[in-house]
Amino acid sequence: MSAALDDGDRLESIRMIRDSAAAVVPPGGELRRVRELRWQEPGFDRGVLRQMGEMGWIGLRVPEAQGGAGLGLGELCALAEELGAGLVPEPLIPCALSAALLAAAGDAEHLPALLAGERVALTAWQERADTLEAPGAPDAPRRFLPMAAGAELFLLPVREGGRLALYAQPAAGADLATERTQDGGHYGTLRPDLGGASKLAEDVGAALEAALDEAALATAAYLLGGMERAFAMTLDYLKTRQQFGRIIGTFQALQHRAADLKMQIALTRASVEAAAAALDAGAAGDARRAAVSRAKARAAEAAMLVQRQCIQLHGGIGYTDQYDVGLYLRKAMVLANQYGSAALHRRRFMASAPEGEE
Amino acid sequence: MDAIAIPPPEQLDSLDDEHFRQVVREFLRQNYPEHLRNPPHRLHWHECKEWYHRLAEKGWLCPGWPKEHGGLGLSPIKQIILTEEYERHGVARTPDHGIVMLGPLVIRYGTEEQKRRFLPKILSGEHIWCQGYSEPNAGSDLAALRTEAVLEGDHYVVNGQKIWTTLATDANWIFLLVRTDKQAKKQEGISFLLVDMTTPGITVRPIINLEMHDEFCEVFFDNVRVPKENLVGQPNRGWDMAKALLGFERIFIGAPRQSAYALSRLRLLAERVGVWEDEAFQDRYARLRLDLEDLKALYGVYVAKLRRGEALGPDVSMLKVIQTELFQRITDTMLEIAGENAGLMDPMEGNRDLNIGGLFIQARPATIYGGSNEIQRNILSKNVLGLPG
Ligand SMILES: Cc1cc2nc3c(=O)[nH]c(=O)nc-3n(C[C@H](O)[C@H](O)[C@H](O)COP(=O)(O)OP(=O)(O)OC[C@H]3O[C@@H](n4cnc5c(N)ncnc54)[C@H](O)[C@@H]3O)c2cc1C
Repeated sequence: MSAALDDGDRLESIRMIRDSAAAVVPPGGELRRVRELRWQEPGFDRGVLRQMGEMGWIGLRVPEAQGGAGLGLGELCALAEELGAGLVPEPLIPCALSAALLAAAGDAEHLPALLAGERVALTAWQERADTLEAPGAPDAPRRFLPMAAGAELFLLPVREGGRLALYAQPAAGADLATERTQDGGHYGTLRPDLGGASKLAEDVGAALEAALDEAALATAAYLLGGMERAFAMTLDYLKTRQQFGRIIGTFQALQHRAADLKMQIALTRASVEAAAAALDAGAAGDARRAAVSRAKARAAEAAMLVQRQCIQLHGGIGYTDQYDVGLYLRKAMVLANQYGSAALHRRRFMASAPEGEE
Repeated sequence: MDAIAIPPPEQLDSLDDEHFRQVVREFLRQNYPEHLRNPPHRLHWHECKEWYHRLAEKGWLCPGWPKEHGGLGLSPIKQIILTEEYERHGVARTPDHGIVMLGPLVIRYGTEEQKRRFLPKILSGEHIWCQGYSEPNAGSDLAALRTEAVLEGDHYVVNGQKIWTTLATDANWIFLLVRTDKQAKKQEGISFLLVDMTTPGITVRPIINLEMHDEFCEVFFDNVRVPKENLVGQPNRGWDMAKALLGFERIFIGAPRQSAYALSRLRLLAERVGVWEDEAFQDRYARLRLDLEDLKALYGVYVAKLRRGEALGPDVSMLKVIQTELFQRITDTMLEIAGENAGLMDPMEGNRDLNIGGLFIQARPATIYGGSNEIQRNILSKNVLGLPG
């Protein structure tokens, strides 16, 4: 596991992950593939997902003994950040969440195909908007399943007594409705059918909590990548666009705006990296919750600020569909509240980080 | 209860305000097409012309124009009431550049002949106008525009390109700022020209905006011949008139309309997602509501000036900034409380009143068009506050 690596090896491992992301994120921020997949079903490329499987990304956090790469959150966040910069639509974070649950359940039936990117398994845990709680009501519709039309399998947490059992329901024949999302993807609503499902584990409550935290943190990292990229595009524009016979980047009002955005991005990076390091060092329970919530609250709010301002600083061209900066705003609209809104994470932070403690 | 009678248009201004409000409600109840309430995006002409023509028929099209030119001549307070009731009812915006911008300009600067030619056709809905100012390299720096008009005999020959022209696909007339003197200082060689969009040589190409809607356009001019009597005011004096018109545009954008609409939707959403009773939310909502009330009061001050026939000063920029940024803060708040629903492409639960992402996106360009808010702040700091630079 990552903790066994010394610092130098660790940095090298993170650098390698970043470099390997270039396999699915074209250099120079080319987004043609992303545009072509918008509002199609399933909205991602199965070939690319398999490629992600081959590179070990889906099982990045899964122990090596179970077929994963056994790497840490430092690596996962670095990868998510690179994918965010390229607006990669394949549902890596939801698949990684499912992989964590299957691994915790000791499953050997579904996990290998999921890790290989051959089959998509989505965890249908959510019953209402803006929550990190999985009530597990057996017949409650499960909401907000990202890219659900591409799933082969749904994992259903179901409350049984004091425990949260895990069932697997095949997607074929499932009662699933989809709604389009701003980023070109979609959310599914699944009406569970336990009759056609098989039980995988008696209690995944703690594993699900931990997996949702990791998904929230990876989402923060994805948002960070998007911010960095949209901000870089905006800086380029400020350095080239001319009005009043001058480069607009010479106007002090815009210089200060850009400086303000840079500070929010720096805070987001610091927060995400600190959380990843804390979790890799073994933070659990309240310590884990506090670190993750801090990062996700910051990333959600900073991403919306940065993306809104990137449109503003572009003027009219920023409000067109053909110009890429708008795609980053749309992605942030979807991810800012996924795995908990900024407000939810602020509340959770206050509840899990008593004042005056480190 | 007795049905409320709707008096003829010329009497509307003399009703007491509360009575007027009831009349507007009744008017909308009787006349506004049900299927056009709260449309998810800006309507094209073919979608809203039924309503436009009905307004025209009833004489209600131009609330702010003086009565002698066919308007309702409404007091500032009544204009605000009208706006409020339109918002409450979910009345769609029509292509209104003729009503809001060109009409007032012609009334102020046009010849008697131009008033006779153009005003009745705005009132009848025969002429739908669009605004051709911005160019690819002349946005904030509008005076850098290069589309030129060269006088040849009785015609101006126009060549060049406009961009971001809202609803140019729907309009049959366009008002243009064109360069008529390339030698003069850049503000002094610009003229104001009215152009029939069916003239040969004009090409309109729609641009898809962030709402995924074909609302604005590029408009190309290739040797377009325009009768010289279509020039408004003096040749090369178009800039001053355009600046006066920007005042009208700013007060129009500064009207509490968008913010009032958005705030009412924020409330519906808060109730729907269950945060309405939340104390922290109540405080945020109270702030936004107070901002809206104070914006309405400030708007009233400017409308009153207009009614007294006073010119709007550069300080009207405040109104534009305050309104558009309030509109944005309200829609930002919608996103923040909506959870995953914030990311939906279409209205939540198929309910047009819960068009969360759509409204948020619509609020984005409000700080860009009509002179960006950065430009408004430059105007405020230089021309109102007298700061050097
Ligand atoms: C939805 C929409 C509808 C529109 N409809 C019309 C229409 O119907 N007709 C029409 O003619 N135009 C229309 N416009 C164009 C609009 O007026 C311009 O977009 C606007 O003037 C900004 O110009 P620009 O897009 O070229 O941006 P730029 O001028 O290039 O500005 C880019 C950025 O630089 C900033 N900036 C520029 N100069 C300064 C400065 N001196 N100090 C500080 N900051 C500065 C701007 O604020 C902006 O943030 C529309 C625009 C939009 C978005």
